[in-house]
Amino acid sequence: MRLHYLELILFSTYAELRAERARSYLGLIWWVLEPAMMMGTFFLVFSVVLKNNQPDYVPFLLVGLALWQWFKSCVSHGGYAIWTQLNLVRQVKLPAQVFPTVQILADTVKFIFILVLLLAILWSSGYPPNVTYVALVPVLLVELVFAAGAAYLVAAVVPLVPDLRFVIEQFLTVVMFLSGVVFPLTSVPPELRSWFELNPIAVLIDAGRGILMYARWPDWAALGRVALISLALYALGSFLITRLTPRYVKLAT
Amino acid sequence: MAETIVSMENVGVAFNAQLRVGSPRYWALEDVSLTLARGERLGVVGRNGAGKSTLLRTIAGIIAPDRGRVTRAPVSCQLLSLAVGFMPHLSGRDNAILSGLMLGLRYREIVRRLPAILEFSELGDFFEQPISSYSTGMTSRLGFSVALQVEPEVLLIDEVLAVGDAEFQEKSGAALRERIHGGTTVVFVSHGDEQIRQICDRAVWIEHGRSVMHGKVDEVLRAYHADAAPVAGKS
Repeated sequence: MRLHYLELILFSTYAELRAERARSYLGLIWWVLEPAMMMGTFFLVFSVVLKNNQPDYVPFLLVGLALWQWFKSCVSHGGYAIWTQLNLVRQVKLPAQVFPTVQILADTVKFIFILVLLLAILWSSGYPPNVTYVALVPVLLVELVFAAGAAYLVAAVVPLVPDLRFVIEQFLTVVMFLSGVVFPLTSVPPELRSWFELNPIAVLIDAGRGILMYARWPDWAALGRVALISLALYALGSFLITRLTPRYVKLAT
Repeated sequence: MAETIVSMENVGVAFNAQLRVGSPRYWALEDVSLTLARGERLGVVGRNGAGKSTLLRTIAGIIAPDRGRVTRAPVSCQLLSLAVGFMPHLSGRDNAILSGLMLGLRYREIVRRLPAILEFSELGDFFEQPISSYSTGMTSRLGFSVALQVEPEVLLIDEVLAVGDAEFQEKSGAALRERIHGGTTVVFVSHGDEQIRQICDRAVWIEHGRSVMHGKVDEVLRAYHADAAPVAGKS
């Protein structure tokens, strides 16, 4: 039975990616072009127009955006997955968690393309591969668990309160600025900084930059804390979906 | 007497009327009791809005009852659903696999049945084309051919017995009747007396979410039609 759901999730992920490719003229190219355009926009605003002269600003920005965008798309795509598939939820007896999981996996596949592109850019601009790359594995895994937990949590609640959609996009934008994606958290006043360090995304992005740009090992204690938060969020999100599934099938159409 | 595989005792199901804070719930099923034995073919009759579709989804285990009790032996129950999870930009083949997985088949099983699906749906080369290029009839042929490959122990049918143009209707209807009379347990919702008489050996009459009568097909249908002016708004 469990294996059956795994097969369904994997094939649905393939189907999702394939359908997405077929929906536009350029198809696959957009997986890379869209984030590249977004990175270009931020580069233009913060580096060219605002003349941010912090050293290493371009790789700083690219790493931050790549890791952020992965998280954000998991939450926004995964978060709406049950709500957009309510018709299916009403028709077939499946664990509702399948739907956000498919979106999260699809976004993760796309992230892998971005990551490869990012590494190529870093290597060709003087940030060579180094031994701390090993630590990328736990960092990315923790981010995946955190993103999945956040996506499940949103996915569980949105069918019952669809109005949340209007809040979530704004909330994500705020979180992005609080996560040190476009400016470093060192520019935050010291008395506020310990609050910022509670933000899992900020810790993960900081660890990613350390590894990719400075061959610096992550702060293991901070990473461990974030891993615990992520696991707790994952458990909470999964629990809520299971708990609320009987109510999804009874919602007004 | 064959083993009972589904039994419902005084089952009630409530829905949210609309997405508003404090919106009232309404009871789509008020008080339904019935039993379903292995191999039995049960017809469900009742007027529009009586709760027949909700009843089917409750038997399937998609909806949990808000009161009363549903006991189900460990059997696979499946609504005969067409085109479940179809995605327009995928080929007929991919959609058949996707839909089969959603309806509870294993990947291996659905792949083994692809030739049968291709043949029954008569799609030919279109099978490899995205279904967004299909006509409505082609899509429903594919949907039906996939649904036919899912062989649940309890088959739940909501009205639809046949799809497509006249020729395919005959073929799909015949295939389904063959399945029904092949010993599968069936629950069949219909407005057509003739179809219920042909297919079912027992019937239940649902009125305003209550099971009014449960018994032999002829007796239930006679009582149902005798009740020409149903009392509206029973609480």
